[in-house]
Amino acid sequence: MTGFLQNISFILVSTIVMSIPLVFAAVGGVFSVRSGIMALGLESMMMTGAFTAVVGSYFSGSPVIGFVCGMAGGMLIGILHGILSVRYKVNQVISGIGLNLLALAATTLLMQLLWNNRGNSPQVANIEGTAVIFSGIPIVGSVLGRLPVNAYVMLAVAGVSWYVLFQTRFGLRLRMSGENPKAAAAMGVRVHGVKYTAVAICGILAGFGGAFLSLNHMDMFVRDMTAGRGYIAVAVAILSRYNPAGVVLCALLFGFCDALQIHFQGGGIPTQLIQMLPYLATLLVLTFGVKHIHAPAGVGKYDDD
Amino acid sequence: MNAVEMKGITKQYPLVRAVDNADFCIRKGEIHSLLGENGAGKSTLMKILYGMTRPDEGEIWINGKKAVIKNPYQAIQLGIGMVHQHFMLAPVMTVTENIAVGNEPVKGIRFDRKTAEKQVHEMIEQYGFHISPTQKVEDLSVGEQQRVEILKALYRGAEILILDEPTAVLTPQEAEDLFRIMRKLKAEGKSIVIITHKLKETMEIADRISVLRDGRMVEQGLGLEQMDTNTLAKLMVGRDVNLSVIRENKGIGLPYLEISDLNLTGSNGKKILDQIQITVHKGEIYGIAGIEGNGQTELIEVLTGLRKPDSAHIKKDGREIKGNAEAFIREGIGHIPEDRMTRGLILEMTIEENVILGYHKRGKFAHKGFLKGKEIRRYTEEKMKEYAVKAGDSQALLNSLSGGNQQKVVIARVFSQDPEVIIVAQPTRGVDVGAMEYIHNTLLDLRDQGKAILLISADLDEVRSLSDRIGVIYDGKIQKEFLPDTVTETELGLWMTGGEKSEEVKDR
Amino acid sequence: MKYREKIKGMVLPAVSLMLAVLASGAVMALCGYNPFEAFGAILTGAFKSKSGLAQTFTQATPLIFTGLAFTLAKKTTLINLGVEGQLLFGAMAAAVVGTIDLGLPGVIHLPLVLLCGMLAGGIFAALVGLLKVKFGSNEVIATIMLNEIAALLCSYLVNGPLKAEGAVSQTEKILKTAYIPKLVPKYQLTFAVFLAIAACILVKFFMERTVKGYEIRCVGMNGKAAETAGIPVGKMMVTAMLISGAIAGLAGGCHVAGVDHRFIENFSPGYGFDGIAVAALAGENPVGVIFAGIIFGALRSGAMVLNRTTSIPIDFINVIQALVVILVAAPLLVKEIISAGKRNKKKGEEKS
Repeated sequence: MTGFLQNISFILVSTIVMSIPLVFAAVGGVFSVRSGIMALGLESMMMTGAFTAVVGSYFSGSPVIGFVCGMAGGMLIGILHGILSVRYKVNQVISGIGLNLLALAATTLLMQLLWNNRGNSPQVANIEGTAVIFSGIPIVGSVLGRLPVNAYVMLAVAGVSWYVLFQTRFGLRLRMSGENPKAAAAMGVRVHGVKYTAVAICGILAGFGGAFLSLNHMDMFVRDMTAGRGYIAVAVAILSRYNPAGVVLCALLFGFCDALQIHFQGGGIPTQLIQMLPYLATLLVLTFGVKHIHAPAGVGKYDDD
Repeated sequence: MNAVEMKGITKQYPLVRAVDNADFCIRKGEIHSLLGENGAGKSTLMKILYGMTRPDEGEIWINGKKAVIKNPYQAIQLGIGMVHQHFMLAPVMTVTENIAVGNEPVKGIRFDRKTAEKQVHEMIEQYGFHISPTQKVEDLSVGEQQRVEILKALYRGAEILILDEPTAVLTPQEAEDLFRIMRKLKAEGKSIVIITHKLKETMEIADRISVLRDGRMVEQGLGLEQMDTNTLAKLMVGRDVNLSVIRENKGIGLPYLEISDLNLTGSNGKKILDQIQITVHKGEIYGIAGIEGNGQTELIEVLTGLRKPDSAHIKKDGREIKGNAEAFIREGIGHIPEDRMTRGLILEMTIEENVILGYHKRGKFAHKGFLKGKEIRRYTEEKMKEYAVKAGDSQALLNSLSGGNQQKVVIARVFSQDPEVIIVAQPTRGVDVGAMEYIHNTLLDLRDQGKAILLISADLDEVRSLSDRIGVIYDGKIQKEFLPDTVTETELGLWMTGGEKSEEVKDR
Repeated sequence: MKYREKIKGMVLPAVSLMLAVLASGAVMALCGYNPFEAFGAILTGAFKSKSGLAQTFTQATPLIFTGLAFTLAKKTTLINLGVEGQLLFGAMAAAVVGTIDLGLPGVIHLPLVLLCGMLAGGIFAALVGLLKVKFGSNEVIATIMLNEIAALLCSYLVNGPLKAEGAVSQTEKILKTAYIPKLVPKYQLTFAVFLAIAACILVKFFMERTVKGYEIRCVGMNGKAAETAGIPVGKMMVTAMLISGAIAGLAGGCHVAGVDHRFIENFSPGYGFDGIAVAALAGENPVGVIFAGIIFGALRSGAMVLNRTTSIPIDFINVIQALVVILVAAPLLVKEIISAGKRNKKKGEEKS
């Protein structure tokens, strides 16, 4: 019985833990898409965030500074994508993919230049803190007490993002810019400013998600660390109907697949086949879950052409 | 004092001089009609006033002060509002959100939705608009969406209102409503510019007119006393025109295209087409009149094999036609799509590639899966001559052609294949008067050759002047059939909004 | 007229490549390497010696295939990011069929091996097309997911049921009858390079001269107009994906039958993604793909030589490729950089 409960709580905890980076990145993606810029570059922002976080932690010895660096790295890529999209009106699909390729190539290159190792970085100081305050509570505490602090940060971020998008003046302007940039511009909304802010927020959040991978899950950067998680985050953003509240629920679904994968590893079923779970889940969700979900009408459109 | 004075405005585009040294004045509290053909420069001139386009030369004075208008936002600050032909709205957002954005009442960083809704509600009441501030824009009819656009301008305190072809999408009744609103705004001292090429409505609503032709202002601020539509037409086109191409029908033949029991349900479970029954005879043009969005698009799609109906019997010469678009084309059903940009043409392809589109598998153009390049070129060159398509050569890309010439390519493609039935939708939308006359005459020629033609057009005048019979469509149903000379425009308009039923509602 | 337009179409990719090389050169300089020396070494390494040339074309072969695969799918507006996965499946199928001793002579066995590779890649890609057409699922994400699934599945196979004896994760060697003949003895270069070039020319001919190719182009440029003209849009998309995947599978098959002679885990350094850069540099023109593939193949082969003598990591080639993809997608940016360059030049001339 206790074994069963333990299994359940283990799966619960890892479900939540595995969904954290996805939530951050997908909420970031929601900001980007709602403002009218596609979010296919999420992978690059996550990966850059994961990398710069490790670099920050490596040189400062402080994982907190690492996280800050991770957010800054993600933001940098986010703004770069913003400039490409808003100012240079690129094909947003291709530029997103290009950035993803660039992030993979650049992080690998920099790893070699910094540490002369193509596969992974050295170990760095990471964050292991859990929310100890809950651990005294029976049963529930066995789950809550083992969650990293960032699980609560995640909930706060999702909540605040929902409020910002749907209740504030900035949110209204952002959504109008994403639905009909020309109309928004004519009504005096500074569409470019709104979009840059949105992609910067997107980059910060995705960078944080990446930093969580490298500094919370692990204590190092590994080549191709995100391994398609950025794309899964895009799927999560779509499935949530571009709503931060929905993102949490959808991400939990994927986190659950990840958790199962971890739980069943070494249980006789070949690892590789179990590792397919989250990817298969994404594929199935994409196929059967998102048919009637429409992106904002102004995605990929501009106010000045 | 004039509310607006535009002096010596010139705007040069790479290929054309859209506006050429034009002066334009609007008095306070008047309704001013800006007349001109498609492409005469009306919209460009007004976009300059609204800050969407910068003029190369010229000055703008607002209320006696010189103004530089770089963008619409500045125009709004100066009290200028514009309602575009294609509305600038976010359909998934509410009426209030669409109106308030940019000028939102706030509490801290929060958007004060309650206050905004109250403000919008008050304005709706004031002008008798009958919409709800919390409705989503996508749930409104076209006429109602237009009111949201007008409210957007008034919410920002617009004193000068520009309406770009506002009646193009309205029924005669809705247009009357709009005129009532315009008169009310005028009484409040607001100045209104209405961009139009419709002469009757100009006579009805305008105080003064200005006429643009080929970018030049040929008449400026003319009073409407002692004017009639013929004089206006002459001013607009610069020559005598025969606005109504009526040609006696020499004889309608036997029933040829018989449509019956046609039903279609949308994905939301709503009935889109309801028991449609139409018979088109040989040598007849059957016109379908109706407000856009009452099932015309879907009817065309079903009749060209693009959409599967719930049920339908479509018979050509007694033989049932079934299958996809390819089958319909093979059966000799020609199709002039309602929107040449999306369905009719491939703009990044050459004239050659567009002329064979849909017929590219025919033996004339292909052999054993390979295209006959030389033959296609020869054929294209021949058709370009025959249909007077003005273009560099047969390899010119479609997007380098004018709207009228693009439409001629569509028409050349379909008519050259000698279809027995032709579904023609919006054949003259966005083409100049010359091309319009040409297309109308070609259609009448085909009718006289004994083709069965189904004409779907939002232009009521076009339907009335070309058709031998008219069916009015409303809410997916053919409400009533008329002979064109036995029905008035008001009567048609009434049926276009549901016939007697809507009358009852109004009386209540 | 047409000739001039073609030249114009080449300017953007060419300038993009130059800018990408310049940018990576700057990074190299920042890291303390001499970029001129490095690129000089790359060029001599890639072209000067016989072995370098052979290596250039060996490297170019998969790039041409994958670039062509990406280009073809793009013709119907589909982004086939799954070329990598399709390549792996093709390679795996080829490796399996290659080891089966059917007593067939090489003239039959080898084509059979390659055909199976094409089939495996093609079916895998057509599946994505089908999902897109039937369910509207986003093919970009779907293909990425399938890449991961393909990589994991192949990893399972070479570590499990198909593992050859020994420590390395790889399959058994294929039979000699399934080898692609070498072009030059002792080097890795095989006849596969001609296969790649022929594929490009064939695709070009197919797209421009045949009814099916015309229909694919119509679908890509205006799906609604194609539909109106009675062209089955969904079917053409699936067809294009099928061909695209088959080409990717052929790339994998050629690698197994020509280079490694077995499936070795992680053999692909990301050929599938390199194809995106090749397609971008080629301006999505099938014949351009040949040249773009050779250019990147040369960079790669030269960088290998460089990597042996200096410590400059080979990954900067990937950086160049990624930059090319981004720059080609941003013509406005490139134009701005060109005109800024012209202005600077003018200023410089005025000063002197």
